[in-house]
Amino acid sequence: MFLAIKEIKKEKLRYGLIILMIFLISYLIFILSSLAVGLASENTQAIETWNAKQVILNKNANVSMSQSVLTKTDLANVTMSKNEALLGQTPVVAKSKSKAQVSSQFIGVKKNQFIYQDQELIAGRKANSDHEVVVDQAFKVKGYHLGDQLKLNGSAQKYQIVGFARNAKINIAPIIYGTLPTWKKLRQGIPDLRASAIISRQANYRENHGNMKTYAINDFINKLPGYTAQNMTFQLMIGFLFVISLIIIAVFLYILTMQKMHNFAVMRAQGIPTSTLVKATVSQALILVGAGIVLGLAATFITAKLLPAAVPMSFTWQIIASGTVGLFLTGMIGSLIPIRSIIKVDPAKAIGE
Amino acid sequence: MTVIELKNVQKTYGKGAAEVQALKKINFKANLGEVVLIMGPSGAGKSTFLTIAGSLQRPSAGQVLIENQQVAELSNKETDALRLNKIGFVLQAYNLVPFLTVKEQFELVKRVKKQNNLDQQTLQKLLQKLGLTDLVNKYPSELSGGQQQRAAIARALYANPKILLADEPTASLDSENVTEVGQLFKDLAKDYNKAVILVTHDPRLEKYADQIFTMMDGEMIKKQ
Repeated sequence: MFLAIKEIKKEKLRYGLIILMIFLISYLIFILSSLAVGLASENTQAIETWNAKQVILNKNANVSMSQSVLTKTDLANVTMSKNEALLGQTPVVAKSKSKAQVSSQFIGVKKNQFIYQDQELIAGRKANSDHEVVVDQAFKVKGYHLGDQLKLNGSAQKYQIVGFARNAKINIAPIIYGTLPTWKKLRQGIPDLRASAIISRQANYRENHGNMKTYAINDFINKLPGYTAQNMTFQLMIGFLFVISLIIIAVFLYILTMQKMHNFAVMRAQGIPTSTLVKATVSQALILVGAGIVLGLAATFITAKLLPAAVPMSFTWQIIASGTVGLFLTGMIGSLIPIRSIIKVDPAKAIGE
Repeated sequence: MTVIELKNVQKTYGKGAAEVQALKKINFKANLGEVVLIMGPSGAGKSTFLTIAGSLQRPSAGQVLIENQQVAELSNKETDALRLNKIGFVLQAYNLVPFLTVKEQFELVKRVKKQNNLDQQTLQKLLQKLGLTDLVNKYPSELSGGQQQRAAIARALYANPKILLADEPTASLDSENVTEVGQLFKDLAKDYNKAVILVTHDPRLEKYADQIFTMMDGEMIKKQ
C-alpha cells in the first residue's frame, strides 16, 4: 500500500487519467444499471405491490393479461380464497379538460379482494363507486389533481380521480384502478365477461381446467411485451462495460508495470520481496478502482437528482453494491495480469543498466 | 575478518558454439573495514562478478560464502533476506525509486526489514556526512547526479549491511565529486566497519583502495 500510495501521489496526472477512465466507466455502469432497473421496475411495479406468485389467464391469450378473457363459464368451478383476486386489464387513453392525454392501463378490481384492499395511496382515498378511480402518481406529475374528471378512450362517461397510488405501473404505463363493472364497459362486446385474470399470492395455487392456464409470476413477467428484450439489451451493455473496464485496467497496469521493470529489478536487488511488489500493484489497482467508483457513485447520485421524473431511473443500494463489487473484482483480475511479469523480474538486470 | 569469499567461481552463458565463459575460476576475499576495487574494461566480467558476489545470480561452478554461509544452500526467499540484511547495493544512475523522496527510500527499507537498521541518531549523522540533511524531502529527479549517488549510498547503508557493493559509482561524477566519493567510501569502510567493493574502470579511485583486483576476459588478478 505504501508504494502504491506514494507512486499515485507523485504521478498525479498519469494516475488521475486512469482514475478518470474508471470513473467514466463506473458512471456509465451505474447510470445504465439504474435505467435498466428503473425501466424493468416500471414494467412490474404493480405486480410487485400485489405480491403475486401465480397468474391465471386464458390459455389462448399468449400470456398477455390485456388480451386474456375469463368468462362466467371459465370461473364456474374456480375456488378462490382471500389470497386470490380477480382483475380486468385493458389499455386506455385518459384525458381531462385542458390536460395532456395519458396512455394508461385500466385495471378493474373487486372491493372485497386484496388488490383493492392493499392499494397504497399517497393522496386521497380508494374508489367507492363505478365512476371513481385511483390513478398512479405519474398523473400527478402530469398535472392532474384529486377531483379531476377523466374521460377514457374518448367516451362521454367521466370518472373522478379520488386518489393517487404509489408504484402503480404495468408495462411502463400508469394504472387507473377502477371497478370490474367499469372494466367490463370498456371491454364491451364480449358476452359473460368476468375478468382478464386471477392473481394469486399462493405459490401452489393452480387452475388449469377449461380455457385457463396458470403461470408462475416470473414466466408471466418475462412475457410482458418488450420486457426480456429490454433487460437483455441492458445486461449486454453492462456486461460489455465490465469487460471494457477489465481490459482498460489490465492494459494500463501492464504498461505501467513494464515501465517500472527497472525499478522493480533495483528493489529486488535490494532484497525487497516479490510479495511486496505484487501487493503494491494489486493495492494500486484497488485504490484506482475505488477512487473511480466513488466519483462514479457521486456523479450518478447527482445525475439521478437532476434528471426529470419522467426518466425511469432507480439508483438503489443493490445497484451500488453489485456495481461496486463487480468493478472491484474486475480491477483485481486486471491487476493480476502484470503480476506474472513482476514475479519474473530478474534482479541481476539492475546491474550494469 | 573475511566477510565475503568466492572460491573457484565460474560462470558460463549459452551452450555449444555460443558458450561464453564470463568468469573463470575466480578466487576472491574481502574483509570488514577495507575498500576493494575491481577494475577492468567493459566486457571483462565485472558486472557478472558483481551479480554473483551480490547473490543476484548463482555461479555455474564454485562457491560463494557470505559470513561463512554458502549462498548455494539458501532458498530464493533466504537469498532475498540475505541481500536485504547483509548486502547493500549502490548501482549506477536511476537506482533510487523515482516516486519516493530520500526519506521515503529509507522508509521502504524499514517496512520490509523491521530490525537492525541504523537508528535515527546514526542515520542523521550519516546524512550530515553525506550532505543530505536538507534534501531528505526531495525526489530523485530534484537531485543532482552526485546527490543521487550519495542518497543511494545512504539508502544502502541504512539497512546496516556488512558488505557494500557499488557498480561504477563514479560513472556520472566530475573529478571533484570523484575525490569526494572515493574518500567517502574509504571513511565508510573504516567508520562503519563495512567491506566496500567497488566495481569500476575509473583509475582515480585506486588511491582509496586497500585491495585492487583487475579483471580481463573473465579472469581476476590481484594487483600487488
